[in-house]
Parts: sequence; C-alpha cells; structure tokens
Amino acid sequence: MMDEYVPTKLDEIRAKISESRKEKKTCITVCGGTGCHAYGCMKVAEAFKDEIIRQNLQDSVDVRITGCHGFCERGPITVIQPDGIFYQRIQLKDIKEVISETIINKKIVNRLLYTEPRTKEKIVYEKEVPFYKKQRRIIFGNNGFIDPTDINDYIALDGYKALVKVLFDMTSEEVIADIKASGLRGRGGAGFLTGKKWEVCRDANSDVKYIICNADEGDPGAYMDRSLLEGNPHSVIEGMIIGAYAIGASLGFIYVRMEYPLAVKNITLAVEQAKGLGLLGESILGSEFKFDIHIFRGAGAFVSGEETSLMASIEGRRAFPRQRPPYPAQEGLWGKPTNINNVETWANVPLVINKGAEWYSQIGTKNSKGTKIFSLVGKINNTGLVEVPMGIKLREIIYDIGGGIKDDKKFKAVQTGGPSGGCIPADKLDLSIDFESLTKAGSMMGSGGMIVMDEDTCMVDVARYFLDFTQQESCGKCVPCRIGTRQLVDILTRITKGKGDEKDLEKLIDLSASVKDGSLCGLGQTAPNPVLTTIRYFKDEYEAHIKEKRCPALVCKDLIIYHIEPDKCVGCLLCLKNCPVDAISGERKKVHVIDQELCIKCGACLDVCPPKVSAVSKYTGNKRDRILMKASRQRVKK
Amino acid sequence: MKVTIDGKKIEVKGKRTVLEVAREKGIFIPSLCDHPQLTPFGGCRLCIVEIKEKGGYPPSCSTYVENGMEIKTKTPRLQKLRREILELILSEHPNACLICSEKENCDEYKSTIRKVGEVTGCVLCSNNGRCELQDVVETLKIDKVRFPSVYRNLEVKKGDPFFDRDYNLCILCGRCVRVCQELRGAAAVSFIYRGSQAVVGTVLDLPLIESGCQFCGACVDVCPTGSLTERGIRYEDLPDERAKTICPLCSMGCELIIDLKKQKILSSKPSDEGAVNEGQACVKGRFLIKEVVHSPRRILKPLVRVNKDLEEASWEEALDFVAQRLKKFKGKEVAVVASPQVSCEEYFLFQKFASEELKTENMDSSYRFSPLAVIDEMAQENGLELGLNFEFKDISRAKTLFLIGEDVPKSHPIIWLEVLKAAQQGAKLIVASPAELSLNRYSSLWLKIKPGTEFYLLSFLSKLFLQNEQEAGNPRIEGFDSFKSSLGEFDSSKVFEMVGITREELEEAFGLLSEAEDAAFLFGMGLTQHPWGTRNVAALWNLALQAQAQLFPLGLENNLRGVFEIGQNSSDKGLNFNQIFQAASSGELKALYLAGPAPYLKKANLEFLVIQDSFVNENFKLADAVLPASTFAETDGTFVNGEGRLQKFNKVIDPLGDAKPDWWIISQLARRMGNKGFPFKNPAEITKEMIKVIPGFSNISYAELEKGQKVHTQDGKRKERSFIPVKYSDSNHEKIKKYPFLMSLNYSLDYYRSLALSQESKGMKAIRDSRWIKISPEDAEKLNLEEGESVVVESSSGKFKGFVKIVKSLPKGILGASFLLGEDSDFSVSGLIPIGFQESHSLGMLPVKIKREK
Repeated sequence: MMDEYVPTKLDEIRAKISESRKEKKTCITVCGGTGCHAYGCMKVAEAFKDEIIRQNLQDSVDVRITGCHGFCERGPITVIQPDGIFYQRIQLKDIKEVISETIINKKIVNRLLYTEPRTKEKIVYEKEVPFYKKQRRIIFGNNGFIDPTDINDYIALDGYKALVKVLFDMTSEEVIADIKASGLRGRGGAGFLTGKKWEVCRDANSDVKYIICNADEGDPGAYMDRSLLEGNPHSVIEGMIIGAYAIGASLGFIYVRMEYPLAVKNITLAVEQAKGLGLLGESILGSEFKFDIHIFRGAGAFVSGEETSLMASIEGRRAFPRQRPPYPAQEGLWGKPTNINNVETWANVPLVINKGAEWYSQIGTKNSKGTKIFSLVGKINNTGLVEVPMGIKLREIIYDIGGGIKDDKKFKAVQTGGPSGGCIPADKLDLSIDFESLTKAGSMMGSGGMIVMDEDTCMVDVARYFLDFTQQESCGKCVPCRIGTRQLVDILTRITKGKGDEKDLEKLIDLSASVKDGSLCGLGQTAPNPVLTTIRYFKDEYEAHIKEKRCPALVCKDLIIYHIEPDKCVGCLLCLKNCPVDAISGERKKVHVIDQELCIKCGACLDVCPPKVSAVSKYTGNKRDRILMKASRQRVKK
Repeated sequence: MKVTIDGKKIEVKGKRTVLEVAREKGIFIPSLCDHPQLTPFGGCRLCIVEIKEKGGYPPSCSTYVENGMEIKTKTPRLQKLRREILELILSEHPNACLICSEKENCDEYKSTIRKVGEVTGCVLCSNNGRCELQDVVETLKIDKVRFPSVYRNLEVKKGDPFFDRDYNLCILCGRCVRVCQELRGAAAVSFIYRGSQAVVGTVLDLPLIESGCQFCGACVDVCPTGSLTERGIRYEDLPDERAKTICPLCSMGCELIIDLKKQKILSSKPSDEGAVNEGQACVKGRFLIKEVVHSPRRILKPLVRVNKDLEEASWEEALDFVAQRLKKFKGKEVAVVASPQVSCEEYFLFQKFASEELKTENMDSSYRFSPLAVIDEMAQENGLELGLNFEFKDISRAKTLFLIGEDVPKSHPIIWLEVLKAAQQGAKLIVASPAELSLNRYSSLWLKIKPGTEFYLLSFLSKLFLQNEQEAGNPRIEGFDSFKSSLGEFDSSKVFEMVGITREELEEAFGLLSEAEDAAFLFGMGLTQHPWGTRNVAALWNLALQAQAQLFPLGLENNLRGVFEIGQNSSDKGLNFNQIFQAASSGELKALYLAGPAPYLKKANLEFLVIQDSFVNENFKLADAVLPASTFAETDGTFVNGEGRLQKFNKVIDPLGDAKPDWWIISQLARRMGNKGFPFKNPAEITKEMIKVIPGFSNISYAELEKGQKVHTQDGKRKERSFIPVKYSDSNHEKIKKYPFLMSLNYSLDYYRSLALSQESKGMKAIRDSRWIKISPEDAEKLNLEEGESVVVESSSGKFKGFVKIVKSLPKGILGASFLLGEDSDFSVSGLIPIGFQESHSLGMLPVKIKREK
C-alpha cells in the first residue's frame, strides 16, 4: 500500500532517475521496433554493450533499446544522444568504429550517415533528416528516447504527470471538458469525438463500466499501433487510466493481436510495472480511484477490430459484430456501458492533459485536431511510420517525407484507410489530410494506412486485391458482405482476366451500393470503397480491360505477354536458364524466343535480363495480339 | 410510445423491436434469420427499413422502437435492396426451381422436372413446401438471379442419429447456432471459418454425437431451409392432418404437434403453446413418438394360450377366456400391476377393477421406484406434508440451484431449460456428482463426490448451518432439537476423506447455500435409488429447511403424479410392486394381471397370467392371455405431470390393428365378469367419475380440462415444516475386494411400457445404448477391456450383461449403466438382484465386479 499522498512520491522517483542519469551524458539508442528487429538490432545493441565494457566506458555511456523510430526503411537505426547523431543501416562490423570514432574521438562516421537521395547530401542529425523534418512527432517522438521495458524512462520524461494532475486536481467532468475542448477525434477509423464518446459512457447509468483499448490492428501494412505498444506502452496505459477516471470504469482491456508478440510482451510488462508502482490497482497513487487492466490477445481476425465484434471476442464468443444501437457506451461488454478507443487515441490523452486543450487544438485543421500517425508503405523511397499534423498536404507526405516514388517512377495513386479505404489519384495530391477531405475524396482516414502506388500498378488489380482481402476476412454474418464481396471479387477477377463485359461496370457500381447500404458493420459498409474510387478515378483502366482486353499497367497476367526483342537480345542464355517452365528456346549468341503457349508470365526473364541489354518487354493490347499472331503464323509454317 | 409505420399510427408499450410491432399490426416485412424465441441477429438483412432522421437501412429485427419514430417498410430503394440481397442468398442456394416461371404448373404436372438436376430442384428437396426461402422468394417476386451460382459442394453429413445436415442449402441465418446456445445450452454447433467459406459446423468437424449435441431437434425446427432435415420424413410428402397431444415419454408433460399422413404419424414437433415446454422438446418427444407408436414390436391381436401355444383370437374369445378364468381368483390370490404410463382414467379403472371386481388390495405400479414414492414414505413416517406445491417454472426464478444425483440435461431435458434460464440470469449452480456432467460448464461449483456419499455431504452441510445458526440465533423450526442431537452423532472428521472433497469446497458450497435466496434443490433417482434412499431424502429435506429451499423431486414416468394421487384413494395394506413379484415366485400369488413393464417372471409360479401391453416382451412366454393395448396416441385421457399439472391428451390416430385402449379392455372385462360399475363408453365419462372420487382431483374442473390444471395434493392435516432426525450407522460403502466397483445408474425414462427405446430405436441406441456398461479409460486399460466388448457385471446376488463403453468423464472405480424397465432380462440391471427388484431403492451403488463374457 502506498502512502497517503503519493503523487509527490512520483516526483521523487522522477528526480532520482534524472539524478542517476546525470553522470552518463551519452546514450546510444538502438531502435528496437519489429522492423529493426528483423534487421538484427538486438545483436547490434549487444555488440555496443560489449564494446563499451571493453573500452571501459560503462560509466559515461549508456546503451538503450528504444521503441520504433519510424524510419523502418533504414534500420537498424542508431541515434547517439544527446546530440542526436543519426546512423542508419548499422551492422556489427561498424560497432567498433562508432565507439572509437564517434564516442571517443567525437568524429562522425560518414559512411553510416543517411544520404538524401536527391541532393546526395550526407545528413548528420536525426532531426535534420528530411523524413523527420516535416513530421510533428508529439505522440511518437518519445519512442526514440524510451526503453519500453523500463517504466523509469517514461516517468523521467514526465510520464504519469497527467495522471497525477487528473487524479488530484481535476474532476471527471473537467477531464471530459478538456478532451472535448481539444477536439481530439478517434484514431481508429470513424473519427468520432473522443470527449463526446466519453461523456455518453460516463452518463450511462450503471455501477459497472469498462474501457477497452483496441489494438487489433488488422489493416495490411499498417503498424502504428504496434509501434506505440512496443515503443511507448505507458503512454497508452496512462491514457487509459485517465479515461477510466473520467468515465468511472474500474476495469480495462487491451485487445491486442496475437501476431504482435513484441507488443504483447512490452505492454504486459508495462502493466506489471505500473501495478508495481501503484499506478494500477486499488487506490491509485493513494487516491480513492481504482482501476486495473487486462491484456486480451486476439486470434487474428480482421473483423475483431470492429468494436462490437471485439467485445464479443472478449466475452469468449465468435467475433461477430452486432447491430448498433445500442452503442457500446450504452450496452457494451457483458451488457455494461463500455468505452472503446484506439491505441493512438489513448496515447493522445496524456498529452492533452499535460499541455492543455488549447495547445492541442492549435495543431491541425478546423475539424481535425492534433497529429496523425500514418504508415507509409508501397512504392515509396522512405517507408516507415510518420506522424504529421492534420491538414498536411498529401504531396508533402509523399514527396517531402516519403522522399518520392521509388526508381523515379510516376506516382499513380495512394490508398488510404486500410483495405476498405479508397484510392486517391495524382490530381488530388494537394488534398488536405483530415477526416472530412479524405471522406469527400471517397476514401477515409481509417487507422492510418497509406499505400503508395506508381505507374506500374494496375488499379483494377488493386481493387481486386483489396476486395479479396475483405472478402476473406468477412465474418460471414450478414449476406451483403459475405456474398456481395465475393461476387464483387468474381466480377473484378473476370475483368482482370479479360473476360469482363460492358455491363460489368454498372453491375459493380450497383452491387457496391447494395453492399454499402445493406451490410451490418463498418467492414462491409466500406468494403466496396476500393472498387468505387478506382472506378471513379481510373475508369479508363477498367474500360481498357473490358473493351480492349488491355492492362495499361502491364500487370494482369492474362492480358500481357513477355517478349524478347530480337534486335536487342545478345543470346546470353541467362533468361533461358532462369525460365522455370523452359519456355525459352535459343542458343548462345543467337536470339532467344519465348514460347507463348508455355509461358506462365512469371517475369523471371525480365528480371534477369541485364539492364544494359534489356531485351525483354511486356506488351498488352494490340501489340500483344500482333506478336501472338506472328508467333502462331510461324508455328504453322514449321 | 407513439410511432408510425408506413403512415399507420401505432401505440407501443415496452421494449419492442420494429419487426415485432410491424408483424403484430399485420405489416409484412420479409425476414429469414429472425425467430421470435431467439435474440435478434441482423444477418439476413431482408428486414431492413428506413427510419426518418436515422441514416442507413437498419434491420427491423434488431432495431428497438423509440418514441416518435417514422418508419417506412416498403420504399422502392428498400425493395430493390431486398431483392438484390435475396439474389445474393440465392446465388449460394439451389434456385432453379425457386425462380422458375413454370413452377406452379410443375407442382401439379411435373412438366419441367427434368430441367434441373435432382439435387438442386425444389421438388426433391425434403423441405419443399415447408421452406421459408420459398415463401420469401414468392413475396419479393424474384424471377431471375443475376449473379452466377456458387454451389458449396460440401459433403452431406448423414452420420448422426435422426437428422441430416446439408450445408449446401444453408443460408447462414444462425438460428440453429442461437437456439442451441441460447435456449438449449448445448452449443454443439457454431459458425466456423470466415468469408465465403463461413458455414455452420461442430468443433473440429466432429460428428454431432461427440460434440455435445442432445438431439433435441430444436435446430431442425428453426431451420428455414432444407439444410437440417429429420431423416424420418426426408422422402415423405407434406402432412394431411395435424393434431395436438401430450408426450408420454417423461414426467414433463410436453405438448406436441403430431403430423399425420393417411392416419400414420410422420413426425412430432413441440408445440409453442405447451404450458411446460413452450416450443421445445427433447430427443424423445421430437423423434421417437413415431417409432413408439408404429413400432414393429406392437401387438395388434389378442392372444390366448391354447394348449402350449399362444394363438390369435378375437376380442370376444379373448375377453370371455380371461373373464372366466379370472373369476376363480379373489382377494389375496390375485394382484394387478399397471404402468404409470397409462392415463389417469385407465389407472383409475385398473384400481377400481382390482378392488371392486377382484376384491384385492394387491395393486401397484413401478411408481414405487420414483423419488416421489420415497418422499411419500418419509413424509408418512414423520407426519409431514409432501411440499409438492411447485411449478417447473419456479426453477428458472431460483437464485441458487443445488443439483444432486442427476444428470439433468440428459434425464430431464426440459427441466434443464429452466435451470439454464436461471443460470443465464446469474443464478449459482452447485452440482454434486462423481462424474463430470455437460452442465458443469454452467456451474459455480462442482462437488466431485465419491459415488454414494451424498448422505455425508448433506449432513456435513447441515452441520455447518447449525454451527452458523447457533451464532446467529436463528428461529427454530419444529423438530429442531432432535435433528440437532441426531446430527451430533455425526463424526465430521472423516467426512472429507469419505466424500472425497476438501473443506474449502464444502465451505464454499455452504457459503453459496447460506447466502441463497430462492434456492431450489433438484434431485432424482440418483439420490433415492440407494440403500439409504429414504435417509438421503431426509438429509436433503433438512438441508432444504435450513437453506429455505424448495425441493424438486424429478421422477421418470409421465403419469407418476396421477398414479400417486389415484393411489391415495386405495388401501396400502396390500402387496406393493416388489412384494407382488416376490409373491409371484414364491407361489403365494395365484393370478397376476400385468399391464406394464415388469421384470422377467422366469421363476414365477402362477396359475394364471394376463398381460395387457402394447409391445411384445419376454413375459409373453408365461402368459395365458395377451390383450393388445393401444398406445397414448390412440385414445383420449389425462396425465398429471411432475409439477402436478393435469393435462388432457388426445387421440391422434385410430387404434392400430385390433389394439384397444386400456380403459376399453378393462371395462369390457369387468362387464363380462358381471360387474355393473364399468359402463363407460368413452374416457370422458371416466374422467367425470374420477374427479368426483379422487381427493387430489377435487378442484379439477371438467369443463376446463383442455387448459391444464394443477392437482391438489395437500390434505392440510399434516405438518408443513419440520426437521427429521437423521440416523447414522456405519458406512456400508467399504470396497469389497471381490467387488471393486460401484454401480452408478443413469436414470432417464428410456422405455414406453415394455418397449426399450434405447434398444429398439436405432438413433436412441447410438446416443445411449441401454446395454452400454460405462467404464473409465483407466479401469478399461487396467482390465484390458476394449470398446464394444461383451462383459458381465456381477454383484453378490446376481448379474447382467452388456457392452463396454469407455467414458472419459467417469472417475475410476465406477461402472455406469442405465436403469431401464422393459429391457431383456439378461441385459437388465435388475439382474443384479434376483427376482425382480427386491428392495425398492437399493439398485444404486451396488458393489460389483466386471469381467469379459466368455
């Protein structure tokens, strides 16, 4: 049991921590996110520690494995604090040099610096890397400073200060008023006003209430929630405790996917550490408020991210959504009023309390306040997690932060909001990123996925891909979603195979409307978005597939051929040897020919043909037909 | 609340869905997944409506009415959306016939029958004419499906008893899943897989029989398509007649609807109006009625022994034969045994015939085995009222339930539904049972007691109450002192070891019981069929007084309570059921009139034996005359169910062959013997006389017979509440080396008169074969016994045969078998005690051994 007025005790802890860290001015932070894990960051961190001991520097230099820095493209990422020297793609062989040069001799190892692809300029400090420059990392920023397995790191950075303020200086009404005034909207997809949501739940008449943190991040390629749970779990926990206080809940759940082992590990540890310090449990920090958190691992169904199915899953039932109303705030988990927010939303809460609603509401646009974390993936130079203020232009994210399209290809579209978001075309690059604008453009904010596509992407194929995903992840409860998406996939597949007919476009639009209007939950109601937006912005591509049996992006296998240009082929046998089905014939120094009957269009020949030669081309439409005709004529001759 | 639907102003009270209100007002909204008894699902999306100022198209089945709502059910957009959704459903369901323009002609002339494949045409679908999908297609006027058909091509599941599952026809409305979970508590089926693969199935795709299914058929009844089909009517046409009656296959008194075709029973379904069952039935009521009535074992002609052989005779001959012979025996020389499965009227006549014509007091029935009989015995000894003033519905209102000695979902499936309702509303369930039961998943506490130790458990709990009461100084009830001092003799130090549970568990049980409000104690033959049956009941009675609980004795036969009430009107000086059979073998008795299942009379030494039964049985070998009685389906009458509800059952078909109702046979016989007291032309006349004569029926109004009325058992002369001193003596449950196992019996009414359902019905046999000898895997391994092997079980006084069934939930040292009258003597558990049932409640917990049959 804690003493009577413990908040001061938290200050004492904080003072002690900073005192103990004064000595060690230098800290080598190694990113410990899942992306950098894959690059071997743990070995790098161990090597740093070993080298420091070897050099007997342990009293002045610290090594810290931190949360995700976001710039996953360039991992493993190492930042040397307090200066913020940014080394990327660091490997075991570099460790000695970093210690001897940078730590001891205070020199920069140029080789490990990030090179700006356009200017070829080497950049020394993290904050000057263009990827970070235009970001506003108010939620995500601390990830790089915190060891997520150590609560002290969070406390040292003013962690749980907001909680103390709330518990001892604010009433629950005041907390809700603050959150309302900040204009914070849910980061999980629908963008409902968080303060309003809390208020409804608070006003619901029940002695038992629950809160839930939705960490069932299911959108393909989106992983901002994972990074927060992995990198700064206490910010989420603090947000939840504040929310629970405001709403009057005494039990909370974090519903996290099984497929996020590191996130599960870190958040579980964080909850334990918070309990250890009396930040969770009975009479938190000596106040009268009690609250506890359970970690619930989901089994990996996309639909579990839908709030009503998530609750069904916690209750031990199949993750089926149910009709709303009643909303969770009225009848949620086990029929009790329940407030459910996304990970990122919870992480915003301590910030609003600490810095004030007014400060917070100055970031963003009129109706969309604060920042939003996006996971920027696809055909873009700098993939990773980016946190930007609402209202930023799409162009800024893609070109300034993202560093433009890979291999200097042409930008075609960006798909936002996960599999049920829409595709936004190039002429909308100056779109402001906020809830309303995205919806108006036929897409949505969703949880913040951003998939960039270049000229080599076939939009019909993209629509088919996303529909196939939602179709497979449909829970099967309601007819329009379960069967409607399947029929949509079938029609799209037909089109990509060149078997579409003129009525298909109309059918797609019609059926999409039925699926949207008829489906039970958000999954089905938004599932047709990729179809509708691609038809809206890229109708010509559909028409090319249907009328001309042509795939302009040269993607749809049934509509393209691979062809070896006789005037370019040098007869090197490379493609011939790599063809998995022996469809290429020819001899050394003689022109090779692809047998179109045998070809499975895997593209191996194109990949292996040396760039100097580049004799393999893809063709669609008329040109394809001509080549095929010629080939068949030759066959007849023989 | 005031709402408008399609411009109609409607006044609504309470929490109602839009669909409910619309239906009530005759506004049709199509729907497929909705079912009035189940929670709203909102899956089929056909019942969508538009509500002013609310976005989207909410489904009316799961949208609750709010004041001022303006609802539209038939806008063009809605109709278009509905049609498109229905087209989507049809793209997964065979639809060629559904949308065929010639379907009306085809129904009559089969002109286009060859146009669709047999498996996908309506005409050959077992659900044709009963299909809700057909109805919806009709009302939404679908004439084409624009989407390509997708046939799931799943294997039809035919391996389970009673019904087939063809998920190619499933539209995923989820009714089966919901009814199984919400109303039946079995949760045997669930949705499996996702996306277009999503379908209904069992865990790991096990057969139903291994997935907790009780085969109640509730899923079949709610299925809107032909996905779930009763095998028995798969190839049958639609019924031409429908009748209501009461099920005679247990003591619940469920109302059934019987479908008939040309005077033959097609199938039986639970009636929504049944006072007890409210639309639910169990495996027996749902699937066995037809098998019972049309059993190949029915006797359809009177038989008379001529020289050595039984020969067919006319009724004239047979009745004359019996009348003349029976006249010779009077008083103590003769006895009558009747089944508690016959109607009140018939039992009344048997009794009247015994006392007025045969002048004998030797009249009884297998009612003797029932918990009711044991309570009655105990109550009489102590001058107590029986405390039978309850309704089954009270169980669902209880806050704490104590279930002892009974596997309720199996033995009393409809009682289980009441228990489930209580559990779903948060009631605490305490289960005392050696074996793990399916209902344990709903229990707050499972007391895993050693078999046969219920008495110690109950006494110890009483003792905990006493200790507590002394502190609290609670008011005392009559008999408290002697009860208290009798408990003083109880040495509680050994109780944990004897009962096999810890002090903590016992204290937890006490905690739950002492805090209990509205407690209900449910017990059955597991408690009473025990050498200490009466003592067990006394201990339970005392505990119930302490916990202020209501006792619910769960009997087997459909008319036990009726037989009990009628029996009150007779002398109890004559021989009882067991004594009659002993007397039959000792030669004390000269003539026996047998109308019900009885143990095999191999050693009987009788001069004259008449058997009046519906089914062939072993005792025919000894009978001098056999009179073919019709079944419950072939006459009218009344039964009194386990809660004392007198209900009228109805004649559904004409008697089969030459079979006649029991009342007719007895009346005819009495008349031929010269008795003028049997002038009855129909059961109604008997009912009128009976309710005049039998005290328990004094408040029954003949005019309101159809309604179902409670009988009046209390005579008001006895004490209502009093403790009973309990007697202690040394335990006789010591294991004897020679007999290392204890016999634990399963009690459910698996017989109708002399027909052993779990032998004669293939489906029942698969679910619970009466010849199974259940054994734990450990013991089976130790004895090297394999599933299905023939074995003999022996006690110190007898033996019977059976087949090994290895059951995981059974603890070591226990053998399980079924209590069953009507079974062949070699296989009947009654073989453990020679000459029938020597003691009325000693069958349970017999020390036995088991060995392979040579």
